Amino acid sequence: MQILINILQTCSLYLIVAISYAIIYFVAKFFHIAHAAVITIAPYFVFLFSQQCGLSLFVALPLAILFAVLLGLITEQFVYKPLRKYNVQPFTILIASLGLYVVLQNIISMVWGDATLSIRVSEVKIGLNIFGAYITAIQIITIAVSATTFISSIIFFSYTNLGMNMRAVSSNTELANIFGISSNQIIFWAFALGSAFAAIAGILVAFDTDMRPTIGFSLFLYGVVAIIIGGIGSHWGLLFASLLLATAQHLGAYYIDSKWMDAIAYLILIIFLIFKPFGFSGQRLKKIEL
Amino acid sequence: MEYLFHILIMILIYVMLSQSLTLAAGYSGLISLAHAGFYGIGAYTSTILTVYYGFPFLFVLPIAILLTGIIAIIVSLISLRTVDDYFIIITLGIQVVAFSIMNNWMHLTNGPLGISGIPFISILGFAIKSKISFLFLTLFLAVLIYMILRNVTNSPFGRILIALSEDEIFVKSLGKNVYQAKVISFTLGGMFAAIPGVLYAHYISYIDPTSFTVDESIFILSIVIIGGMRSLWGSALAAAILVILPEALRFIGMPSNMAANMRQIIYGIALIFMMFKYRNGFMLS
Repeated sequence: MQILINILQTCSLYLIVAISYAIIYFVAKFFHIAHAAVITIAPYFVFLFSQQCGLSLFVALPLAILFAVLLGLITEQFVYKPLRKYNVQPFTILIASLGLYVVLQNIISMVWGDATLSIRVSEVKIGLNIFGAYITAIQIITIAVSATTFISSIIFFSYTNLGMNMRAVSSNTELANIFGISSNQIIFWAFALGSAFAAIAGILVAFDTDMRPTIGFSLFLYGVVAIIIGGIGSHWGLLFASLLLATAQHLGAYYIDSKWMDAIAYLILIIFLIFKPFGFSGQRLKKIEL
Repeated sequence: MEYLFHILIMILIYVMLSQSLTLAAGYSGLISLAHAGFYGIGAYTSTILTVYYGFPFLFVLPIAILLTGIIAIIVSLISLRTVDDYFIIITLGIQVVAFSIMNNWMHLTNGPLGISGIPFISILGFAIKSKISFLFLTLFLAVLIYMILRNVTNSPFGRILIALSEDEIFVKSLGKNVYQAKVISFTLGGMFAAIPGVLYAHYISYIDPTSFTVDESIFILSIVIIGGMRSLWGSALAAAILVILPEALRFIGMPSNMAANMRQIIYGIALIFMMFKYRNGFMLS
């Protein structure tokens, strides 16, 4: 029972990261590795506002999310947008983004140090007892936020104007431009939304397990694995992929050892690439197999 | 003087690493983030064979190169199912798996504690103990790798690599075996990365997994990109500059942990600028 709750929590966390990243990738179509820095910096902003400036958590949380979104938008405006203007290949943007991630991560570790910091406000409580398993408040919040994110993201892409414009830009950028949808503007909004969800995921994971300057990177990589397995543009695919990833990792941790969690995630990715290169949704991922 | 030799040896190790990656990333366009993994496999193979079984250096070196080559073939067979940005992400994943194995397989690698007490290299009974003689050995191997890579890249095979990185389908239409050429160049790059790994292990006499992380892979790739992608001399120069950089920062009075961060920030910024410079693709200039 305890393992079920843990799987549910991990799955929820991966789902938020996967959705946050899928929104950006779906529209902009390149690997935005600096996304990992956005995930990392959000809890550090919470730490800055709530502990170093002494603001209450209700002010600090929205402020941190706002600043993380700003960071995401700055990367888009000053690095990706100028690069896109030259019609560069996607891997060129990927490497620039890698450089950006290195810069941001090192700035974080220069400012706040490499040691583990905590933004938890109260002592660790044992949590509620449900059917013989323990569940903490932050786990309940994670699961609730994730479910809200999932449902609102489906509604957003199917019914709102902006969501439909994003789908238009994603499926055919040039045609969307002809119809008067500015692709740069849509990508800007995608970055804003994606970064906001990323910040939420980063803050949730920091409340659960504290933070180091590298927390964002592994979380981001799990998100990427979930997206490649689940397929872009399919919400249910993302949900299944997160569930598969979380289940495999927790069962692996239970039966073998928790230190192999990283390796398990990538083994799943490799197995998928060999046997089912198009992911759950069966949608042809751009460029896999020439 | 010893300090100067130390810096020179470290520069040469990174020159070898970046030159081996230049073949894969620069010439055939296989931008790999798994290079520190191959470097680590070379280092761990030689360490385990030397420390636990007492094999001599001249036996250990070829074994390390061969084993890394076999692993590189397997890796390339998996990762070459994808191209471009997906290829980079897959090699990143393979790097994480490699690090995870080095960090967690306690029985074989002693995990995060690392393996210490790696003996001096001795060749036919002649022990290389002083830094200057180690420097000459490193220099000899670096020149050897440079000569081999120069010959490979100037050969007809090298021209196939350059062509396929620019237009793969066109090269295919000329009847060249693109897939095979990619596998060979990736594997060769991996095999050459084992040599600096072996040297590093014997030189520092202690290895642990933190020397072979994703950051190290990014660092090696940055050297290649800053060096101009397809230039063996350029990557040698970039390796020298990036290895000296933290020493220079420390010299002007920056605390050493900050100097390490500063170096990463500088090469991160350099990467972004290089991408603006290469926005039209990596053409031979």
